[in-house]
Amino acid sequence: MLDILFYVFAAIVLVSALLMVVSPNAVNGAMCMIVSFVGTAALFVLLEAYFLAILQVLVYAGAVMVLFLFIIMLLDVDKSEGSYFKDKLTLGAAIIGFALVAILVCSAFAGANHLPEPGLMPVLENPTGEGVGIPFTTSSKSFGYSLFSKYMLPFQVTGFLLLAAMIGVIVVSKKHEENS
Amino acid sequence: MNDLLAEFLRGYTANNQWAIIMPEIMLAVLALGLLGAEMVLPKKSHGLIPRLALWGQLFVLVVAMTAGSYIGFESKSYFSGMIYQTDITQFMRGFFLVCSILVCYLGHIYLSKQQLPKTEFYHLVIIISAAMMLLVQSSNFVMLFVALETVTVAFYVLVAYCRSSSLSLEAGLKYLVMGALSSSILLFGIVLLYGVAGNPELAFNSQDALNFDELRNFIALNSDNLLVRVGALLVIAGICFKIGAVPFQIWVPDVYQGSPTPVTAYLAVASKAAGFIVLLQLVTGPFMGLQGLLVPVLSFVAAATILFGNFAAVTQRNVKRLMGLSGIAHAGYILVGVIAAMRGVAWAPYAVIFYLVTYLLASFAVFGVMTHLAGSDDANQELDDYENLARKRPFLGGILACGLGSLAGIPPLGGFIGKLFLFVAAFQAELFGLLGISVLGVVISIYYYFGWVRECYFGNASDEVIHDVKAPFNMSDRVLLGALVVGTVIIGIVPAALPIIP
Repeated sequence: MLDILFYVFAAIVLVSALLMVVSPNAVNGAMCMIVSFVGTAALFVLLEAYFLAILQVLVYAGAVMVLFLFIIMLLDVDKSEGSYFKDKLTLGAAIIGFALVAILVCSAFAGANHLPEPGLMPVLENPTGEGVGIPFTTSSKSFGYSLFSKYMLPFQVTGFLLLAAMIGVIVVSKKHEENS
Repeated sequence: MNDLLAEFLRGYTANNQWAIIMPEIMLAVLALGLLGAEMVLPKKSHGLIPRLALWGQLFVLVVAMTAGSYIGFESKSYFSGMIYQTDITQFMRGFFLVCSILVCYLGHIYLSKQQLPKTEFYHLVIIISAAMMLLVQSSNFVMLFVALETVTVAFYVLVAYCRSSSLSLEAGLKYLVMGALSSSILLFGIVLLYGVAGNPELAFNSQDALNFDELRNFIALNSDNLLVRVGALLVIAGICFKIGAVPFQIWVPDVYQGSPTPVTAYLAVASKAAGFIVLLQLVTGPFMGLQGLLVPVLSFVAAATILFGNFAAVTQRNVKRLMGLSGIAHAGYILVGVIAAMRGVAWAPYAVIFYLVTYLLASFAVFGVMTHLAGSDDANQELDDYENLARKRPFLGGILACGLGSLAGIPPLGGFIGKLFLFVAAFQAELFGLLGISVLGVVISIYYYFGWVRECYFGNASDEVIHDVKAPFNMSDRVLLGALVVGTVIIGIVPAALPIIP
């Protein structure tokens, strides 16, 4: 049952991602992207990573995509300038890129030097070490534990990243009035 | 929360010693303080803000230099493996601080000619400086990526800072698209490495697969794993975007031309230096086991970079594009040093740093002159604007000639010694092919650098003075530009004045 669900959702993700790239209409592309994100969230649910699944829907399928749609509508992107693939160079680059990915996937999962077979591993009760440690959960609490202990410094730096972005948006978009 | 868990978390936070990143914290506080000062101070005393930025950074520089000495520094890891301080990172802290001080100074001159918001410029420059200091110290891919993104996002803004100029906005957009592309390539590489290093079926797999030490052990044993190789190559490609190495150099000329001149200088010197230090730490750290793959790849990149940068710069008339393209060539020379370090020449990293220092001094001298001479539209500075500069402004002409001479590598200036060290390192690493290409590149570079100098000194002798925007040129400008040139000359004559090479 799980296997079938996995293949169904994986197919949804891949097909909608492909449609997003080839879709000549920007709004359609954004819609396909939402489908792809929701499919990814479903895959997270299958892996019992519920918190990630919720974040995926809330942040990506929700907030980020609404922003995308806003911008597409504000910019009033032209419906279609024909397919991108009419350009021979783009077409060639796309084919070469696709072939490289295909070779990578084939040699990673088949052939002499392939990776170990994927399979469901037993969930480690205590991946951080014997005796002590954080019991393995997928709840938001465990994310919080490591975010505020081990990853404290990157977490703080992210704050400055967002501040710089915010100030940047204001500086670039606001008309400056010189009253000197 | 039970006791066991609290005990465990305490183990993680045990070496979160905030005091060791005191310079970065002080810079962050200074940056926030500037925004606060703009709010609190009355309009007429806003002139204080640039001074606050400059003196504040000088103070941080003093603190950073006295707190951690460079010579005989003991390497140590902090923040549960996020930060790894070595003598190189200690030195680079000072390097980035000097860069941001100079950029703030040039920015002050630039902003006085423009109708632009002022405080935010200093704020962003200081944030970038602090983030770059953390970037070179990071020894975990999470830390590396967060710091790198902070640098890049703030640079998107600075590049597009002159919003009244369409060239600046175009440059900002191009940098945004290219930067996002390169970040995604880098991130994809990191994810591949993380995935494959966390695979419990492989030897030396790790629960903490983003840590450089763990990755080094893993990669040393699994260096022929395909995903490891692809991941490492993607990471290197992402870094090569940042340093502007061929074939990822496409954004450099446009962005360098469009962005405000102080930001161009910052991009050319500090951003590139940060990229190189990160590259150096990656190839001598986690990717050490991949020598067989990375040495040929990087050698090819270095050769292509040197040749492309020099040949493209020969026909260039716009000085900012010329600096950008010749900067690509300099990236190629430094890459030769990185490859030498990878082949086991122990002092090659120090040669790279020495070269970066000479590059800083010479570049800022040139960009300083450019900032002074630029009018309100500084994107279109042509070589013709520099005609007879030495006759009109002898001091600036002299500074420019010294800076360009050092960039070209003329003895007795610092750039010559820097190149010499790099080439000796390459010789010791037996990289004879690259050495030949580098020397060829230097010969070509002399042609275009001296084309510029000739324009200044031996232009058509006409007495008419064309649109000379007399920027107020006071004593501190003279002292600063003079100090850069004097530094270049001293390093050139007495390399031991800069005690970097052990």
